[in-house]
Amino acid sequence: MAAIKAVNSKAEVARAQAALSVNICAARGLQDVLRTNLGPKGTMKMLVSGAGDIKLTKDGNVLLQEMQIQHPTASLIAKVATAQDDVTGDGTTSNVLIIGELLKQADLYISEGLHPRIITEGFEAAKIKALEVLEEVKVTKEMKRKVLLDVARTSLRTKVHAELADVLTEAVVDSVLAVRRPGYPIDLFMVEIMEMKHKLGTDTKLIQGLVLDHGARHPDMKKRVEDAFILICNVSLEYEKTEVSSGFFYKTAEEKEKLVKAERKFIEDRVQKIIDLKDKVCAQSNKGFVIINQKGIDPFSLDTLAKHGIVALRRAKRRNMERLSLACGGMAVNSFEDLTVDCLGHAGLVYEYTLGEEKFTFIEECVNPHSVTLLVRGPNKHTLTQIKDAIRDGLRAIKNAIEDGCMVPGAGAIEVAMAEALVTYKNSIKGRARLGVQAFADALLIIPKVLAQNAGYDPQETLVKVQAEHVESKQLVGIDLNTGEPMVAADAGVWDNYCVKKQLLHSCTVIATNILLVDEIMRAGMSSLKG
Amino acid sequence: MAGGAREVLTLQLGHFAGFVGAHWWNQQDAALGRATDAKESPGELCPDVLYRTGRTLHGQDTYTPRLILMDLKGGVLSSDGVWRVKSIPNGKGSPPLTTATTPKPLIPTEASIRVWSDFLRVHLHPRSICMIQKYNHDGEAGRLEAFGQGESVLKEPKYQEELEDRLHFYVEECDYLQGFQILCDLHDGFSGVGAKAAELLQDEYSGRGIITWGLLPGPYHRGEAQRNIYRLLNTAFGLVHLAAHSSLVCPLSLGGSLGLRPEPPVNFPYLHYDATLPFHCSAILATALDTVTVPYRLCSSPVSMVHLADMLSFCGKKVVTAGATIPFPLAPGQSLPDSLMQFGGATPWTPLSACGEPSGTRCFAQSVVLRGIDRACHSQLTPGTPPPSSLHACTTGEEVLAQYLQQQQPRVMSSSHLLLTPYRVAPPYPHLFSSCSPQGMVLDGSPKGAAVESIPVFGALCSSSSLHQTLEALARDLTKLDLRRWASFMDAGVEHDDVAELLQELQSLAQCYHAGDSLVD
Repeated sequence: MAAIKAVNSKAEVARAQAALSVNICAARGLQDVLRTNLGPKGTMKMLVSGAGDIKLTKDGNVLLQEMQIQHPTASLIAKVATAQDDVTGDGTTSNVLIIGELLKQADLYISEGLHPRIITEGFEAAKIKALEVLEEVKVTKEMKRKVLLDVARTSLRTKVHAELADVLTEAVVDSVLAVRRPGYPIDLFMVEIMEMKHKLGTDTKLIQGLVLDHGARHPDMKKRVEDAFILICNVSLEYEKTEVSSGFFYKTAEEKEKLVKAERKFIEDRVQKIIDLKDKVCAQSNKGFVIINQKGIDPFSLDTLAKHGIVALRRAKRRNMERLSLACGGMAVNSFEDLTVDCLGHAGLVYEYTLGEEKFTFIEECVNPHSVTLLVRGPNKHTLTQIKDAIRDGLRAIKNAIEDGCMVPGAGAIEVAMAEALVTYKNSIKGRARLGVQAFADALLIIPKVLAQNAGYDPQETLVKVQAEHVESKQLVGIDLNTGEPMVAADAGVWDNYCVKKQLLHSCTVIATNILLVDEIMRAGMSSLKG
Repeated sequence: MAGGAREVLTLQLGHFAGFVGAHWWNQQDAALGRATDAKESPGELCPDVLYRTGRTLHGQDTYTPRLILMDLKGGVLSSDGVWRVKSIPNGKGSPPLTTATTPKPLIPTEASIRVWSDFLRVHLHPRSICMIQKYNHDGEAGRLEAFGQGESVLKEPKYQEELEDRLHFYVEECDYLQGFQILCDLHDGFSGVGAKAAELLQDEYSGRGIITWGLLPGPYHRGEAQRNIYRLLNTAFGLVHLAAHSSLVCPLSLGGSLGLRPEPPVNFPYLHYDATLPFHCSAILATALDTVTVPYRLCSSPVSMVHLADMLSFCGKKVVTAGATIPFPLAPGQSLPDSLMQFGGATPWTPLSACGEPSGTRCFAQSVVLRGIDRACHSQLTPGTPPPSSLHACTTGEEVLAQYLQQQQPRVMSSSHLLLTPYRVAPPYPHLFSSCSPQGMVLDGSPKGAAVESIPVFGALCSSSSLHQTLEALARDLTKLDLRRWASFMDAGVEHDDVAELLQELQSLAQCYHAGDSLVD
C-alpha cells in the first residue's frame, strides 16, 4: 500500500519494478514507432487528423507533435525530443531512438540485479567521454558553399526523397548565403517561405527578392514592370475617420460635400507627393515605379496612382516590411514629408502572377538582396507542408554549421567511433559503473543499426563490417546506404551538425537517467489542465 | 463614402461562437436566398458587408462569408464522423445559395446536433477555417481551459502567422474596411485567444472598429466547482482585456449572471427553449446578434462600427449590454404604437448580457433596432378621432419608435432603426415558438399547423448602469477566491500580479457605470 493512498484514495500508483517497466515499455514503444523513419532510406508515416487532413512525413519532430501521445512517459520523451528540435532543428528521431535504446540496455543489467543508480553513474561517465571523442573527431573547416551543400544534403535527404532534396539543397544554401551578413548573426527570418499550390515539388526555387501574396488592386496598373524603383511606406492613403473621435457639422448638402472634399484633400496631397517623386526620378528614363504600402490605399488613390503609371500594392504584411527594404534596398518611409530618391529601393523585375483568386507579386532581380524568398511549389497541400518542414530543417542545419564552424562525419560514423572509444575507456573504470559505460556504448550503435536496417541490409552484418573497417583504417567510417558497405563518411560528403550531436548526447543521457531513477509513479493530480 | 459596401470581417473564436456563428450565417444565407425571390422589397441590409466574392481555381464565382474561425481539434468534425463543412464553395454566382435549387440538406434533428458544423448550411472559403491542433475539443486531457493558454496560442509564431496571413487575405481586398466583429467564447481558454486577437487587430489596423461579442453558453451547475471557477476567471480576464483592446464589448448569454452563484436562465414570454442545449441558446443569441448589428450593415446611410461604438462607449463605458424581444409581440390588426403601448413603462426587452433585470437601472446610451414591422402597421390613424397616445400621433414608424424611446428614457442618447426585413427562422433554426403565425404574429391560444417562417424582433444595445452591479459582483467573487487552490490556472501563464491588476481594472470599469455621479441626475 503506497503512502499516497492514505492521503488520496483515488491516486493510481506503480512502484519500483512496475514503474521501471512502465517507463521502459513506453520508451521502447516510441522507439518502435520512429525507428523506421530514420535516415535517407527511412519510410514515411501517414498521419490522418480527426478532420481527415492527411500529412505524409518522416520528420520525427512533426510526427511527435502530431501524434496524440497519451502515455505520460512517452510524452515526456516526446517533449525532450521536440525540445531538441527547437534548439538545433534536427535529431529528433535519433533522440528518441537513443533514449529507448539506453533504457533497453539498462534494463538488461537491472534485471540481473544491478541498481539503477550505478548504471546512471556509468552513463554519466560515458557521456563525458563521448563528448571528448566528439571534440576530437570534429572537423573544423571554412564553411564554403560546397561544404554547406554537403551539410544541407545530408539533412534534407533524411526528410524528403533524393531528387527533391537535391533541388532544395541548392536553394536552401544559397538563401542562407544571401541573408548572411558579416558581423551579424544569421537571421533565418529574412528568408521568406512562400507557398504556391502549383506545378511540382521539384519546381521549388529560390527567388532573389521577395514574393508577396497579393497584387495591385486596380485593373489599369501594369502587370509587369522592369527596372523599377520601389517605394516602401507605411502611410495611410485612404480616407478614414481620424483616430480621435470627431464629427463635422454642416447645414446643407453642399457644405457637407465641401467638408468631405477638404478631408480628402489631405489624402490627395499625399498621393501627389508620390507622383511628384515619380516624375522626378523617372523623368527621362522609362523606369517603372512601384509602391508597397503597409497601410491601405482606397480606390480613389489607386485610380490617381494608376493614371500616372504607378503600380501600388496595399496592406503589405508587417513582417514583410523589413524584408522588403533588405531585399530591394531603400528604407521604409513613415511619412511623406521628406521624401527623397534615397528612400527608394530598386528591383530589376516586378510582375504579377494570378493563380485562381490568389495573386502573387514577384519582386525579382534585386541587386545583392539581403532577404530572399524560397518559393515552395507543389501539386497539393501535403507536399507543400512536407517541403516547408524540410526547408525549415535545412535552413537550421546550415545555420548551425556556419555558427559551429565545424562538422562531424555522418552516416553512423561518429556513433561507431564513440562506441569504440567507450569500450576501450570502460576498462579504465573501476567497479560496476563500467557496465553503465558498456550499456551506453551499445546504445549508441542503434543509429548505424537502424540506418542499415532501413536501407534493407542486415543490421548486425553491416555493423560488424563497419566496425572492422573502422579499427583497421583508423578513419571515421560510416555506412554507404546504397551498397551496404563501409565508406569513409567525410570523403562521401556526409556531414552532420556538431551541435546536434552534442545536444543529443546531453539530452538523451539526462532523460534516460531521470527515467531510470524513477521508482514510483503516482497519478493524483487535481486538474487535467496540462494533460 | 458613397459606393461600395463598408466591409466587416468576422472572427469566430471558440466552439460556442461557432454555434452562434452557424445560426448567424444560416440567417444570412436565408436572407440571400429570399432576396432573389423579388417578392420582397430590395434588401435593406447589404450582404456585401459580410460576404466576399471570389473565384475558385476553376473559374467559378463564389460568394462566401468574410470569416475567420478558430476551433480546436475535433471541434468541427460533425458527430457522425464526417467532415461536413464544405470548404470548397459552390459556384452559383452571386447571390449563390437559392434554397430552391440546392437539394435541401437533411436537416439534422436536435438530438443529433453535437457540434456546430452539423447544421451549418453555408459554404465557407477554405481560408476561413483555422484549427488549433494543440488542444482537443473533447476528452479528458489537453483542453483549452484557461485564459493564459489561449493567450499563449496566439503568441506562438505558428498560429500568429497563420492568423495574420488569413487576416491579410481578407483585409487586403477590402476597399472600405470598417472594422472587425469578434465572436468569442468567454468561458474557456478562447477568452485569451480573443483578447490576443483583439490586441493584434488593434495594433495592426488602428482606426477600425472592433466590436466584440463575448459569448457564454448555457447555465452552470454549482457541482462542477472547478469548471465554474475557471469560467469566472476566464470571463473576468476576457472582459477586461477585450474591453481594453476593442471599441466595444458586449457579453451575450442567456444565463442570469456572470458570477459564481447560478441564476436561472432568462425567460422569453413567447419562446420555449432548453437552456442546456447550445443549439437553442445559440439560435436565440444569433437572432439578437443579427438584429443589433443592423446599424452597420444597412445599405443606405449605415452607421459605421466606429460611430456606433463611439456613441455607446463614451467616457470609457466600453462594455455594453444587449437585450431583445423575440419575437416582438404584434397581434394581428395591432399597430406599432398599440404594441409598444402594451409594454407600459417596463423595459420591453429581455436582457441577454447576464446582467440582471434592466428595470430600475439607468441607461446612458442606446442603439435600438426594430425589424419585421410592416409599413402598414406603423400607424393607423382614423381621421377625426383624437389619437389615443402621443405615439399614435406620429406619422412614420421611425418617429413612433423615436418617440417611444424618448418617453421611456428621456435624456438618453438613442439611435433607432426600423426595418421591414424580418428575421427568418427557416430550419435548421429550432422550433421555439409556441403561438405564432407564419409571419411571426403573436396569436392567442394553441399554435396553428403552419411553421413559423419569420419573426419581428426588437433588439437593443445599451450602456446601462446595471453593469456597475455586474462588474462589481464579478470583482467581489474574484476577491473571495483562494487563488492558491487554482494554481493550474496560474500555471498557464497568468501571474498573481495580473489578478490584482485585473481586479483594479474591473473596479475602475465598474466605476464608469456608477449611476449616481452623473451630471444629469
